Amino acid sequence: MDLALQLLFTGFGIGAVYALVALGFVLIFRATNVVNFAQGEFSMVAAYLMVVCAVDLELPYWLSFLIALAGMALLGIVFNLGVYYPLRNRSFLPVIIATIGASIFLSNAVLALYGPQPQALQGWFDTPGIQAGPVYLDSQYLLIIGVTLLLVLFQYWFFEHTLLGKKMQATSQDKEMASLLGIKVSSMIMLTFVYSAVLGGIAGILVAPVLFVSIQMGSTIALKAFAATIIGGFGDVTGAIIGGLALGIIETFGAAYISVPYKDGFAFLVLIAFLVFRPQGLFGERVAEKA
Amino acid sequence: MRLTRRAFSTSLASLCAMPALIGRASAQTATIKIGMVAPVTGPAAESGRYAQIGAKLAVEAVNKAGGVLGKPVELLVEDDQTTNPGVVLAFSKLAAQSDIIGFLGPIRSTQVHALAPDALKLAKPVMIGGTDPNLTHMGNPWLFRCRPNDSYSGSVIADFGINTIGKKKWAIVHSTDAFGTAGGKALAGALDKAGATIALDQGYTNQSQDFTPVVLAVKQSGADILGSYFTFENDNGIFARQLRQLGVTIPYIGSASITNATALKLAGPALYGTYGVADYAEESSDAAKAYGKLYRDTAKVAADNQSSWTYDAVNVLALGINKAGSTEPGKIRDAILSIKGYPGAEGEYNFDANGDGLHGYNVVKNEKGIMVFDKHIESKD
Amino acid sequence: MSALAQPTRSVRARALPGMLAYIALAALATAAAFLAPVDDYILHILIETATYAIAVFGLTVVLGLCGQINLAQAAFFGFGAYAVGLGTVDLHLNFWVAILLGGVLVAVLGALLGLTTLRLGGHYLAMVTISFQQIVTLVLTNWIAVTHGPDGVASIGRPLFFTSSHAYLALCVLILALVGTLVWRLPQTRLGRAMRAVRDNELAASVAGIDTYKTKVAAFALCAVLGGLGGSLFAGGFAYVSPDQFSFSESIVFLTMVLLGGAASPIGALIGTTLLIVLPETLRFLKDRPGEYLAIYGLAVILIIRFMPDGMWGFIKSLAAAWMRAPPFTEPAPELMLAPAASSATDVLDVENLAKYFGGLKAVDGVTFHIKRGGVHALIGPNGSGKTTTLNVLSGLYTPSAGKILLDGRDLTALAPHARTAAGLGRTFQNIRLFRSMTALENVVIGAERPGGPAYKSGDELILHARAALAFVGLEARAQDLVTSFSYGHQRLIEIARALAGNPTLLLLDEPAAGLNSTEKHELRDLLKRIAAKGLTILIIDHDMTLVADVAEQITVLNFGKRIADGRAADVLRQPDVIAAYLGSEPDAPAHA
Repeated sequence: MDLALQLLFTGFGIGAVYALVALGFVLIFRATNVVNFAQGEFSMVAAYLMVVCAVDLELPYWLSFLIALAGMALLGIVFNLGVYYPLRNRSFLPVIIATIGASIFLSNAVLALYGPQPQALQGWFDTPGIQAGPVYLDSQYLLIIGVTLLLVLFQYWFFEHTLLGKKMQATSQDKEMASLLGIKVSSMIMLTFVYSAVLGGIAGILVAPVLFVSIQMGSTIALKAFAATIIGGFGDVTGAIIGGLALGIIETFGAAYISVPYKDGFAFLVLIAFLVFRPQGLFGERVAEKA
Repeated sequence: MRLTRRAFSTSLASLCAMPALIGRASAQTATIKIGMVAPVTGPAAESGRYAQIGAKLAVEAVNKAGGVLGKPVELLVEDDQTTNPGVVLAFSKLAAQSDIIGFLGPIRSTQVHALAPDALKLAKPVMIGGTDPNLTHMGNPWLFRCRPNDSYSGSVIADFGINTIGKKKWAIVHSTDAFGTAGGKALAGALDKAGATIALDQGYTNQSQDFTPVVLAVKQSGADILGSYFTFENDNGIFARQLRQLGVTIPYIGSASITNATALKLAGPALYGTYGVADYAEESSDAAKAYGKLYRDTAKVAADNQSSWTYDAVNVLALGINKAGSTEPGKIRDAILSIKGYPGAEGEYNFDANGDGLHGYNVVKNEKGIMVFDKHIESKD
Repeated sequence: MSALAQPTRSVRARALPGMLAYIALAALATAAAFLAPVDDYILHILIETATYAIAVFGLTVVLGLCGQINLAQAAFFGFGAYAVGLGTVDLHLNFWVAILLGGVLVAVLGALLGLTTLRLGGHYLAMVTISFQQIVTLVLTNWIAVTHGPDGVASIGRPLFFTSSHAYLALCVLILALVGTLVWRLPQTRLGRAMRAVRDNELAASVAGIDTYKTKVAAFALCAVLGGLGGSLFAGGFAYVSPDQFSFSESIVFLTMVLLGGAASPIGALIGTTLLIVLPETLRFLKDRPGEYLAIYGLAVILIIRFMPDGMWGFIKSLAAAWMRAPPFTEPAPELMLAPAASSATDVLDVENLAKYFGGLKAVDGVTFHIKRGGVHALIGPNGSGKTTTLNVLSGLYTPSAGKILLDGRDLTALAPHARTAAGLGRTFQNIRLFRSMTALENVVIGAERPGGPAYKSGDELILHARAALAFVGLEARAQDLVTSFSYGHQRLIEIARALAGNPTLLLLDEPAAGLNSTEKHELRDLLKRIAAKGLTILIIDHDMTLVADVAEQITVLNFGKRIADGRAADVLRQPDVIAAYLGSEPDAPAHA
């Protein structure tokens, strides 16, 4: 039982990381119908920005955090203008490839600028964790779970209860109609990319103290987050969260009770099962093509 | 008229031939050339950087001491991209230059396997850093290993754990790549031979992000000592941290990565009190100390096995050529195999008939972040 | 831009020297590979390029031709490599036997992967292939008992007579040339046309009689076989394989190669492969700062995708498009023969109690009508009455919630769209669905070669029949032009010609007048009358009352999913509830005799 509780906590923790990154995927997908293969690299770049500010330049933690997020907002803008916008009217395949190219560019640009050595980043709290009975609660994981919850609440409030949020929703559901209603679609999409980049950045900065900062840190998470998005239902934000948490738990329990080396395989097996039997995921809508 | 792809590819092929032809047209040089394949790009780029530093330090040292056969040594490096086809291409590019006398090969065993057929065909000495024991037992007379192979690391970990620390119920944690699997196997074999119990033999995939299941498995196994083969320092760091968080305090002996500067930096206090078997340990010998100082003066950080082996490799190769008194590969081979008692940074080189130069490991202890040399164990095999 | 398989005799005669030239060049290249005095380094590069190119040809088929994304090509490459590796080293099989067994294995796996396309496309398919790839990598690494695990398989031998690197390269070049021919010819074959149709417009393809599912599965199987073949040859070439070589990142490399060079053509594949293998080699001098070279590479990918969407070869071709036009036909097109099947049933179409519910919405609610042989029957009704839904149920795009559909007495209710087309149903779409990458002639040929359609004694006869259909709608003069170069009204005519070319028993026209100006509508009306005069039965749905009143003999009226009138045109148009259904708008139809 103690074993299971500990696994549950860790599963939630790593699941929350997937959920955070999945949020970024879903938002961009809903607004632009594009899967962003560079989403993981957003997390990685933000983590490196944190390292540069907080470790190399020794700026205060909160200041470094803000600078890193500002950098991510800038990256979101550049990404939209450079990668998505010029290809927005083409089919999905060129865009997928362009985002893959962007992911290669980002990870190697960071490699060229910073070097290949993994870096350590301090966590937010000084105490590494709390022992709650038989379960050890890593403080950074607690923070991740907490922030994910906050972000979900914030997102719900933002999208459902503010005009700007509703405009963004409208754009993601029907671009043409939204523009006919006077919504500036290109601004909404820009905003979506900026928000997604910042989300990815937050995920990266939160995760860095636990997983360390390395060039590959983004890509390993992103693929799983993408899987989580599909399991949850590709258009649905709630689904992404639940998908992420579910994936984290499936993985952790699968590793403990079935096989550690094949841990990654469970995620993909579950994904294939969903894709074959229930492609709309847990919460998504069936999409039918208009004849 | 169709532009056929045959025309295209044949003209492209001739275009490719150009660099090779131009390369060969270089004038008669007055240096002894040594070729080196290293990962300049790809996942092992970091390790490749250190390897190059070590090699270049050795080249300087050799040249300062009079060079090889009276001429200065020149090092030519080619990127192997950390891939198998990449190392074959890099090696064959160097091999095409007939004035290269000897080579430094990769530290990754799979890459050594990949270039082995070409090395055999070329019939010139290749100094390697890969630790898969098979590399020197597959009938290829041109591979000379400048690091102790995994059968030795396994037996040294077992020896130290059983005889010095005194524990006999083991948990083994190893990565599932070539290095980890071979290492795990070597350790398990050595433990079996010594009559110890293996309570857990757990593999994990590289870049795992979370090791809770592994740590809990260790805990549950009731082992009283832990041995590990980790390939990547970030994995090792996460594992060590979670080990401590979940209250596992049994003695822990790891493969060399646990002693690397990066691992120390990442894991911090989680690795205090752990042991590592390192082919390079600064305090283990005078030669090691000298190298450590030399490296630190140049690179500003402490040396580790990613650079020490290439340092030794260049020195051993130079020594072999000088001893042979000629650039003829067969003579160099005999000369290298006859090297006994050479004090390298990694230890004392006594080449056996298979081409293995080192047969023991250093055990070091992590004393609050500083690696302290404990003892050197020479394997009896 | 493409020419059909065997057009008129004059063009075929011209193709022959082209074929001979290709064979000569292929022989030359093979000889060059064998004899050229290049060193091992160059040989290794070329072997790598040739074997990778074969695998990339696989992507040309599945992605370039069929439009399906496959991010698991490295897995198939790996299977082929391991088949040869394990086969020759562990099982001591003959090299060729090992390749064959590997080929069978990957064909099965590729088909399995293709099976998932039944329900998935786009991103979902991408994700399934990625998952498959990841699982394969894990299995190769961890199933040590079979695959040797991470150590890989070493000392892989080469086949007899090809042990020297020169000979082996010559072998690879030869196989590359052979395979390249097949991939080059594929677009002009029936299967190739089907793949291109699926890529351009899957819905239209299925309605034109193509079994889209089988086509996609075939594409995947072919892609896998080519990937496996490349991998098998690679294993022999480099003598060592390990799991870390066949990972997801390698699949990305394959994909990038095909996209950069140009996905739709094997030449593009070869360009892309050569570029991405040779370029890093020539750029070795840039390797001093790690990451710099690959960052530039990533940037290059983005730029090429942005500015050369059809890849480099597509770009080159577009420059050369002017002088690559196909020559015009010399023989005139014959008269179109439309011979509707003879049958004992009096009614061509029987729709009985047809119903289609979408959740709570009853789009079609118990509709019954019968269409007599010959002549034009119209199905009309105000917006939302269920006309288009009925048409979609008739053509098989929706499964009915209840009811039966009989064509010439044959029950179509449970059949897939392409099977209905095979039974004799032809249809056009409200939003024109032509295959945009093809010429007018190719579009019509696809219609002409529908299963169950007329039998042709040769490819020439097929072309002639298609040209006849185009001539019937008045567009034969521009048969070799891309459909995108036609006006909207003319595109509609091509769509009709495509349906006619299959000699259908019943032609369904969905809002054919939509988007046409009045001149075009007159032409359409005349065309419909000429089609009816040939003895074909037509079911037309439209809003344009003038057109309907002019051409239709029988009219069925729907409102709110139910039939409210059915009978002779003039009578129906005068019925009060029909007029009321259109909210009082009087049909300005003159008295129809």
